[in-house]
Amino acid sequence: MATDLSTTVVAGGFVLGLVFGGVAQKSNFCTMGAISDVVNMGHWGRMRMWMLAVAVAMLGAAGLAAGGWVDLSQAVVMRPNLPWLSLIVGGLVFGAGMTLTGGCPSRNLVRLGGGSLRSFVVLVFVAVAGYMTLKGLFGAWRAAWLDPVALPLAEWGWPDQGLPTALSRATGLATTTALGVAVAAIAVPLAAFALRDARFRGNVWQWVGALIIGGVIVGGWYVSGHLGFGENPETLEDSFFATNSRTLESLSFIAPLAFGLELLLLWTDQSLHLSFGIAAVGGMILGAAGVALATRRFRWEGFASLSDLRQQLLGAAMMGFGGVTALGCTVGQGLSGLSTLAMGSFLATAAIVVGCVATLKWLAWREEAR
Amino acid sequence: MQFDQEIDASGLACPMPIVKTKKALAGLASGQVLRVVGTDPGSVDDMPAFAESGGHTLLSSTEEGGRYVFLIRKG
Repeated sequence: MATDLSTTVVAGGFVLGLVFGGVAQKSNFCTMGAISDVVNMGHWGRMRMWMLAVAVAMLGAAGLAAGGWVDLSQAVVMRPNLPWLSLIVGGLVFGAGMTLTGGCPSRNLVRLGGGSLRSFVVLVFVAVAGYMTLKGLFGAWRAAWLDPVALPLAEWGWPDQGLPTALSRATGLATTTALGVAVAAIAVPLAAFALRDARFRGNVWQWVGALIIGGVIVGGWYVSGHLGFGENPETLEDSFFATNSRTLESLSFIAPLAFGLELLLLWTDQSLHLSFGIAAVGGMILGAAGVALATRRFRWEGFASLSDLRQQLLGAAMMGFGGVTALGCTVGQGLSGLSTLAMGSFLATAAIVVGCVATLKWLAWREEAR
Repeated sequence: MQFDQEIDASGLACPMPIVKTKKALAGLASGQVLRVVGTDPGSVDDMPAFAESGGHTLLSSTEEGGRYVFLIRKG
């Protein structure tokens, strides 16, 4: 039974990653690209795509929670402790890093599927820096100087850090009502803004891609939070199966890259297993590769110069450190985290955007100065 | 086709090809043509969006010997 549940969760992660990778490859979905398009061109197409995907993910996740299928309050980003300094610093560093590398880890997974060996090297360094921030030297710094600066919501009687909980405590609304009000107040305007533009509606791959990517995030919560939740035969307690966080997860890429590297390095360690997140990483690469080959856009790509290598490695290390410290990347916090309506996810995503915009401005200024 | 200026964005990843193109176009007069050569596969999707949002015309988008070549007329 336990093996069956683990297999279901791992297979689900792989399929969801496969779909995400294929759609992202076809639709050019990229959070850094979306921000860059707005800053450098005033073009909102890819930003609308991200907004619609977030809205779909929020509505779907709220539906799963309201229907009693998943308990989102168990997710890591919803813990009743708000490490605001880690979220801000990690988000800023991650946002700057993804701009230096020309895309976040999910974009680099898609590029790797399209033949970019440069992205492969970037992802290895993201995994190394991420692992160092989970369990190594960077982790010691994070735990000593950043994580302790937090709002202890549990001590104040909060069951989680979700916006619906804040709304419920402020107004006295029932929890389910507060969830409906909060998701309607955020997701509906996001979707309306995205779909208001006729050119966006005319770009079928963009809006259909957004619906699918939002649906993939919802699927992740369902797979790990519902299908993968059952009795552990060893402890006789209900548990979440086949996730590295030992609780429900949806798509995220920094920690899974780090745990994927750990699994490959320590394969003979019987305590390590394939997980939802690691399987999703593999699915992403294969999905992107399949679409790249089918559309004849597969191209081998390497580093162009020493300065290119330097900038990519610096950005990769920053994404590994920042992504773990901020509890997620543009997907882990920017899609999955936001779908839970966790306050920390809004903070982390805002910090990622600020870090990205500041670095875009710096890159443009540097180019002008040449 | 003839062009008035050429920039080489080979080896640069998003967003630098767009940043360089934007800077080069700023130095051209309306109607002049810029040739951009690069290696970033993402620029195949980025250049049409950039041209459209800036009021420019993307005259062609081709691949020559593993490099992407764009001709843009300034609007």
